[in-house]
Amino acid sequence: MTTDRTCDILIVGAGATGSLAALVLAEAGLDVVCLEQGSWVEAKDHPHLHADWSWQRRTNWSPDVNKRSHPDDFPVNSDSSQILMWNAVGGSTNVYGAIWPRYRPSDFRKGTEHGLQPDWPIAYEDVAPFYEAADRLVGVSGLAGDPAMPPRERCPTRPMPVSKVAKRLASGFDKLDWHWWPVEAGAITEDYDGRPACNNCGTCNGCPRGSMSKYSMSIWPKALDAGCELRINARVLKIEKGADGRATGVHYVDRNTGRIHFQKAKIVIVAANGIGTPRLLLASDNLANGNDQVGRYLLHHTLVACEMWVDEPVDGQIGYVASLISRQFAETDVSRGFVNGFNFNCITSSPSAGELAAGWFTSARAPWGRDHHQWFQRHFGHSIGVFGIGDDLPNPENRVTLDPVLKDSDGVPAAKTHYAPGENDRRMMNYMLDRLEELAKACGAFEYRLNDYRDKNGVYRTPAWHMIGTCRMGSDPETSVVNKWNQTWEVPNLFIVDGSVLATGGVVNPTPTISALALRAASYIRDNFETLSRTTRPSIAA
Amino acid sequence: MSTQFMARESERNSTLPPVEKARMVRALVDELIPGGDGWPSASEAGVHGIVSLRVLGEWSEEQIGRLAALLGWETGGLSSGDAAERVSAVRSMETADPDLFDKLYTAIVLAYYETPFVVEAIRSTGRPYSIRPHATGYAMAPFDFSRDTPNHGRGHYLKTDDVKPVDTSTLDLDTNRTERWGVER
Repeated sequence: MTTDRTCDILIVGAGATGSLAALVLAEAGLDVVCLEQGSWVEAKDHPHLHADWSWQRRTNWSPDVNKRSHPDDFPVNSDSSQILMWNAVGGSTNVYGAIWPRYRPSDFRKGTEHGLQPDWPIAYEDVAPFYEAADRLVGVSGLAGDPAMPPRERCPTRPMPVSKVAKRLASGFDKLDWHWWPVEAGAITEDYDGRPACNNCGTCNGCPRGSMSKYSMSIWPKALDAGCELRINARVLKIEKGADGRATGVHYVDRNTGRIHFQKAKIVIVAANGIGTPRLLLASDNLANGNDQVGRYLLHHTLVACEMWVDEPVDGQIGYVASLISRQFAETDVSRGFVNGFNFNCITSSPSAGELAAGWFTSARAPWGRDHHQWFQRHFGHSIGVFGIGDDLPNPENRVTLDPVLKDSDGVPAAKTHYAPGENDRRMMNYMLDRLEELAKACGAFEYRLNDYRDKNGVYRTPAWHMIGTCRMGSDPETSVVNKWNQTWEVPNLFIVDGSVLATGGVVNPTPTISALALRAASYIRDNFETLSRTTRPSIAA
Repeated sequence: MSTQFMARESERNSTLPPVEKARMVRALVDELIPGGDGWPSASEAGVHGIVSLRVLGEWSEEQIGRLAALLGWETGGLSSGDAAERVSAVRSMETADPDLFDKLYTAIVLAYYETPFVVEAIRSTGRPYSIRPHATGYAMAPFDFSRDTPNHGRGHYLKTDDVKPVDTSTLDLDTNRTERWGVER
């Protein structure tokens, strides 16, 4: 079915970046339609309020798209990584932990630094104002003044309470003379913007209170008030391109009725995440992919972990999921034997006694039989988790393609992903594991266990929250998919605003940067709408 | 052969009556998590029922029969009156099918710690713990800027204009391969 209405802006995907784009553009008075294949996740839908929440976190509320069976999802065939995402209004913010650090200036200049990654066409200073804007919108807690980062404005709310875990880790970092700082979080410590302060429950995989910025509660109400039309259960099948080279609109199926519609638009924005976006472009007759770059350079970060147990109770089951961040090793130092750096994201512990006993951060778990309770009492309330998260080098063979066989329920090919760490990544992970061991000892752990996320066959199966780089931003149309304004090189009215545009991964959780870039791109579209809604010149802003 | 036909066949071949199935599951959960020192056993907490609903309810007769065989339920293994025999039976099952054991053990442990009786037992150890923490929250003192702001002074970053080329010639990333990486080095 084709309707006559041509909207100004059509957004594919109502996750974090789709919501931000919708807000900016609807507030400008533009006619904005957003299509979301999932639906609303209401507070009562979350497992948090039920006694079986630990079980649900491993089953129907698992963030792993291949460990739950949910009709809103599309299939992803991965030969390696655990694919973690959520398809709904608010996207993966329905299940994330909202650790909120920013990129650092050198993350945008890796081409200059060593040439094994590209320079971004923009610098940290171009993004900085949008970091601040995103922080104000979503509500962020944290502490300005970190000597390991550029200056920033005061955070909208004060840092998370200092937990016993944080104190113990800080003492370990101090012994090693390593940097640490209170973690920034996309969760509020004081009532903010109509949402209640965090109550320290620790169940930080999404937050039905809205204390953690679940974008369906923090951003979408504003976007809807501004006039955006959000259509849920609307799965986009294909983006259509006209003879003039411009995107004309999208075909989508109403999943409630099974009817297929065509929505015309002057500008199309894709916000379907680092896997969904390349999948959609590839399934749309290889759209914007004349240079064979769409889907390549999939980045997940190098990720390793350490779980340690200390004698004095630290009660890591309570409080926000993360405690500190250490940026001691964030910059490149080639004397380590590799380029790029990494951070330590210090977690608290699992909020669930059952998760801790069944095996949480590593393979360690309570033994069965008569020693079970003794182990539990020795370890529960004494556990601390630390992630090492590093900047992986892009590899064109780490990529998203279309599965030649598997299709979703509407006949669109499934996404197929491959990811394997390269030589630099392996060296970095070895170094990270050694430093984690030092940290555990400095913290006085009576026991610790490391995790390299390799399975029994040696395959690196990282829990891939971060799916980025697959439609990367660049200054060269031959080696990138979008220009510095998130505009595709080949289709002048097609923009990509999700994490797939990140040219490098940095050493941090990417949502703050993805959000800032989405605000920046949407502001550009708003300010240049008249030109962008007509032009057939590719990449006018290059 | 259709799946339906196979299911009917396996039902005909089943030899374990419902009462025996229930006893086997109850015995298994108690062998994995026995009671003592203020902790209820798994069956006292009701774990066998929860796990049966969540996991075993979807199993075919063939799968139940295989579990019974692995545990020696009908041959004096887990069903033995001798504690050492029962432990040995569970250990044999763990060795023979570690993936199945992991699946069951995880389900049993998660169910155990969800029950109100076990939550109460956790609290009695002195650790704060809520059965539904999201509803109750936990009390924590707010961050105090004067008391809690770090004063170590450590940390640095490169400004955009300070990023300069580094010498990577000694890294030999193309020629030196790191084959041993990760935890097992």
